[in-house]
Formats: sequence, structure tokens, C-alpha cells
Amino acid sequence: MSPYSRSIFSRLVWGAGIISTVLLVALWWTTHQTVQTTLEEGARTQIDIDIAGLVDIYATNGRAELATRIADRVAVIPMEGNTPHYFLSDDKGARIAGDLEQWPALDPSVSESGLIPIGENSEGFARAVQLDRELRLVGARGLADSEPLLQRIGLVFLFGGAVLVALVVLLGRLAAARLQRRIERINVAFRDPHAEALSSLAEPKDGDEIDELTAHSGAALARVRNLMEAYRDTSDQLAHEIRTPLTHLDNRLVKTLREEPEAAVAEGLVAAREDIRRLVQTLESLLDIASSKARKGDRAGLKDFDMSAMVHRICDLYSGSAEETGHAFKWRIEGGVQFTGEEWQLSRVLTNLLDNAFKYVPAGGRIEVTLETQANRPILTVSDNGPGIATGERDRIFERFYRGGADEGDVAGSGLGLALAQAIAERHGLTLQVIDSKVGSTFRLS
Amino acid sequence: MQPLKILYVEDDQRSAQAVSELADRSGDTLVWESSGSAALLRAGMEAFDVIILDRMLGDIDGLTITKRLRESGIGTPILILSALGRTSDRAEGLDAGADDYLAKPFEPEELLARLRALHRRSSGHEHSAVILYGAFECHVKARTAFRQNQHLSLSPKEFELFRYFMENAGEIVTREMLLRDVWKMDFDPQTNVVDVNIGRLRRKLEEGFDKPALETIWGSGYRILDGQ
Repeated sequence: MSPYSRSIFSRLVWGAGIISTVLLVALWWTTHQTVQTTLEEGARTQIDIDIAGLVDIYATNGRAELATRIADRVAVIPMEGNTPHYFLSDDKGARIAGDLEQWPALDPSVSESGLIPIGENSEGFARAVQLDRELRLVGARGLADSEPLLQRIGLVFLFGGAVLVALVVLLGRLAAARLQRRIERINVAFRDPHAEALSSLAEPKDGDEIDELTAHSGAALARVRNLMEAYRDTSDQLAHEIRTPLTHLDNRLVKTLREEPEAAVAEGLVAAREDIRRLVQTLESLLDIASSKARKGDRAGLKDFDMSAMVHRICDLYSGSAEETGHAFKWRIEGGVQFTGEEWQLSRVLTNLLDNAFKYVPAGGRIEVTLETQANRPILTVSDNGPGIATGERDRIFERFYRGGADEGDVAGSGLGLALAQAIAERHGLTLQVIDSKVGSTFRLS
Repeated sequence: MQPLKILYVEDDQRSAQAVSELADRSGDTLVWESSGSAALLRAGMEAFDVIILDRMLGDIDGLTITKRLRESGIGTPILILSALGRTSDRAEGLDAGADDYLAKPFEPEELLARLRALHRRSSGHEHSAVILYGAFECHVKARTAFRQNQHLSLSPKEFELFRYFMENAGEIVTREMLLRDVWKMDFDPQTNVVDVNIGRLRRKLEEGFDKPALETIWGSGYRILDGQ
């Protein structure tokens, strides 16, 4: 299972948590603003009602009564809400009644309203009116102290929001874990498509789109598995049906040879046995090529191994041949190169390349093997100063049964070595190619 | 040579007959079973020195037989002799618990050599600190070799080869056995690399002596001689 932090579901849960937090903050802010506006609106309405009442009193009872009422109102401390403040003045600005220190910057001729300072630290909403040519009035109410209310709202949002976000994350995680388990079933089957894993994919759980995906994956995997099994059975049968009669034929030849026939006959029988061997090797190589191609990109069965040790062992094996054949054989191997693959398969790539080099490079020639790494990827080269490979042939030499112009005549071979080497390289996600070199040929596996 | 008691499980009668004749000639006793179930019964009742198993049998396949034998505690060395001869097939056989794997068609001498090597390995005749054979001495720990008390100067790989011959003294050692056990390679390169390496060892073992040290067994492999 991939770690939870890398799972799409954990990202979804994180996303849901963050989005709900952002939404909650936005909701809190909107509420905060609305409450504040509503409180202001309240003060505004209240002062308008106040002023209307006082205008009414003035119209009905005159200036003296108005001054008395204003003094009464200033004296009363209301049970709730804020104390009203007034300023009644004559046309010279002298205060007749009220508690405001001075006339605020409001124009009574247009009944201007606005926020004014009240006392030292607070402000209030006020409206000024011209009662008649000599009399003007301003009424103000301090804004209700909104802080405690807003704090209460903030607390409700903080605790309520925390619980909500926690619930979203918790439920999200539960749902994500369940989804992850369902997806993991598919991944398990892909990693190791054994019969049990595949049959479990066929059982529907909720009938939703994930079930559909699960069923499709199961069916596709089963198809691939069946194909691989059919391919394997066919190649096993093929090998069996060809090798068994060849074994019988070989046994007959061995029997006849044991009866000590004439030299010429014996020679023919030995050659016939050699032919049988070659035929078997060709069959094996063809099946190996097919099998490598079929498993291209499939990581199953690959293991870590020490590539340096493998290359060293093979170079050591061929060094004797080099002395015998008079080739200058050198190798340069970077130590501790690890690779994940099938060791015997990759050693076959190297032996095939070396077999070719020793076959085609004339005595006295140079053959060199290097193993190095570039960005942690191994690069294996086999180069020589032999006849080289014509540019036009460089791709064709990897074709099955293609025999290059250089080997007509005396050099034996099945014509499958390079095709097999390339199939093995591709099965490991590597490429095998002939690269440009000044002399001879250079094969690079990288 | 000590005769072996061999159980051979093979559904193809002609193959069975050929191996049977081979066993007769080498003086070994061969019991043939043509089905997996009969072979399992037989292996449970009688003791054998080695078991030769075909893979594609009519009833139970060879790999399953190998697993069942191992599960039931039968440790007799098993050599799988099969028409499935690719390296991946060999790896499967060895993973299932077989001790050796030989593909058909095979050299008769190769089969005999491998059976003897298997039997020798299982009966614990080897791995002593000093192996003596005729005029040869192999000091395994000190990694030194002597012939008639004269030190032989061998490279590390040549010593490995020499030791392998000494461990299998008196018996045929085939190219495939050498590739597998000395070079850890499970397939046959197309060139004569093994013969070349043997040639170099032979020269070192014989330089300054009259008698040959290694005998080439035509068509199958080599055998170390007592050098006397």
C-alpha cells in the first residue's frame, strides 16, 4: 500500500479540512460585519425616532417645553441601550439644553446625519435638524457596546468550527480509508495477479463506479493471465514435442556410435548430433526471445544483484580465450554497480556480445568491456577494433536470423544471439545498440 | 565406482529404456516408474541414492513431485531430466527443491557424471580441509595446490577449477557442471571458453611432469587423473 501521505484520499481529506476552515472563517467574518451593521442601523433608527418626538414636542408645546424634555431625557439612565445626548442651540450657537459639549460638524439645514465624537473616547450616531430660524437641535446616541456580543459570536464560531472541521476530517478519513481499501484490492491484483486476488475482484460490493473499475481490472488481468498461461503451455508443449523425438534420435546416434562404426560413418553421426544440438539451441533461443518480449516491462521476478561481480566473472572466463586466440582483451569495471533484473539473462547479453567479438575480430585485435554508471544507471559497453558494422546494417543485425555480410562462410552461429540480447535488454527496460566509434564496433547496453 | 540405486520417473517409454540401458552399462540399479503417484509411493517406501524426475508427466508434474517429496522429509538428491531446458525452466526446478537439472537431449556421460556428483555431495564425501588424490594435494583453506610435493602456482580461478576437479576426483566433470559451479553460469556460451580455461589449468598441472593430469572424455567433459 502506498504511504497514506501520498494517497489521493489523504489529499482529499486535507483539502476538505482546509476548505471547511476557510468557509467557516468567511462565515464568521460575514456574521461579524452583519451584526455590526445591524447595531449601527439600530442606533440610527433610534435617534431618528428621538428627533421626530422632540420636533413634535416643539411644534406642540414650544421651546421651553422642549428644553425641559431634553433635560429630562438626559437625566434618565436607560435600562438598556445607550444614553441619548442632545444639543439644543439658538442661532448663535449658544446651548439652551442638552449635554453635548459643542455643536458637532453637522449641517442642520439639510438634516445631516453622521458619526460624531461623544465625550473623549466614544462616538455615536447623530442627526441635526433646524427647528426654526433661530433654533436647531442635534440628537445623538452612542453606538451600543458591540464588543461582548461580537466576542460571543467569535467564540461560538471558534469552538463550533473546530468541532465541525474535526468531524469533516474524521469522516473524510473514514471514507478515504474505505475507498483506499477498495482501490488497494485492485492494486494488489495488479502487483500479483494470482487466482485468489482475481476472483476477489469479481465480487461486487456497492455496485458503484469503483466496483465497475474493479470488475474491469479483474477481467483484463484474468485475460492477460490466461494469455500468458496459454503462451507458456504452448511453448512448453512445443519444446517437449520437439525435444523428445530429438532425444530419441540422439539416443539412436549414440547407440550406433557405441558400436564403433567406420571412421567416416562415425564422423557423420557426430555431425548429426551437433546438428541436433544446434536445432535445440535455436528453438531455445526463439522461445527465450518470445518470452523476453512477452515480459517486456514486467518487473515480476526481477532481483537486485551485483552487476560488477557478474561482469567480472564473465570477463575472467573469457580472458583465457583471449590469450589462446591472441586478442588483447581488457576490462574496466566500476565496483559495486547494483541492478534489478534477472542476472542469468543479463549475463547472457554479455556472453553473446563477447562470443560475437571473439568470432569476428581477427587475432591480434582488441576487445574491451567497460561497466560504469551514469545517473545511477549502468552502462555496459563491449567495443573492439575488428571489421565493424556498416551503418546500414546496424539495426538489421538485431533481427532474428539476420546474418551480416561479415560472417558469410566460416563463422558459425544461429543468427539469434543479438536478437535475444536485445529482447533481454528491452525486458529490463534497457536498450542495446551499436554506437558510432572510430574503429571496429561498439555495443552499448544502457 | 560404487553402484547407485536410482529411481527414474518418466512417462515416455523410449526415454526410460535409453536411461535404463545407460544405468545397466554403468552398473547402477534403476527402478522405473511411469507415473507421478506411483513414484511418490515408491519413494516413500524404498530408499534411493538419487531420483531422476521428468517434468511433464501424465498425472502430477515433476515440480509438484519434488515439492511433495521435500515436504514429506525425503532428502534424496533429485535430478530433473526434462524437455523443458530453458534457463528459466532450470531455475524453476531448482527453486522447487531439485538439486540438479539436465535438459533433453543430453550426453549420457553427462547424466552419469551429474548423478555421481549429486550422490557424492549428499553423502558428504567432500569439504575436508585437504583433498588428496594420487599425486595431487589441494589445501582448501590455504588455497594451495601440490603435485608430488611440488607447489603448483595457480591463479585464483585456476585454483577454483583445480579444487572442483579434486572434489570430484576419479569422476567425469562436464563443461556444464564447471560453468554452473565454478563460473555460476546457467547456460552454455557458444564459444569454447571452458575448454580454453581447462587447457590453461592442464598446462600448469603438467608442466615439468611426464604423466598427464587431466583426461578429456570425448564429447562430455574431463576427469582428473592420479598423476602418478
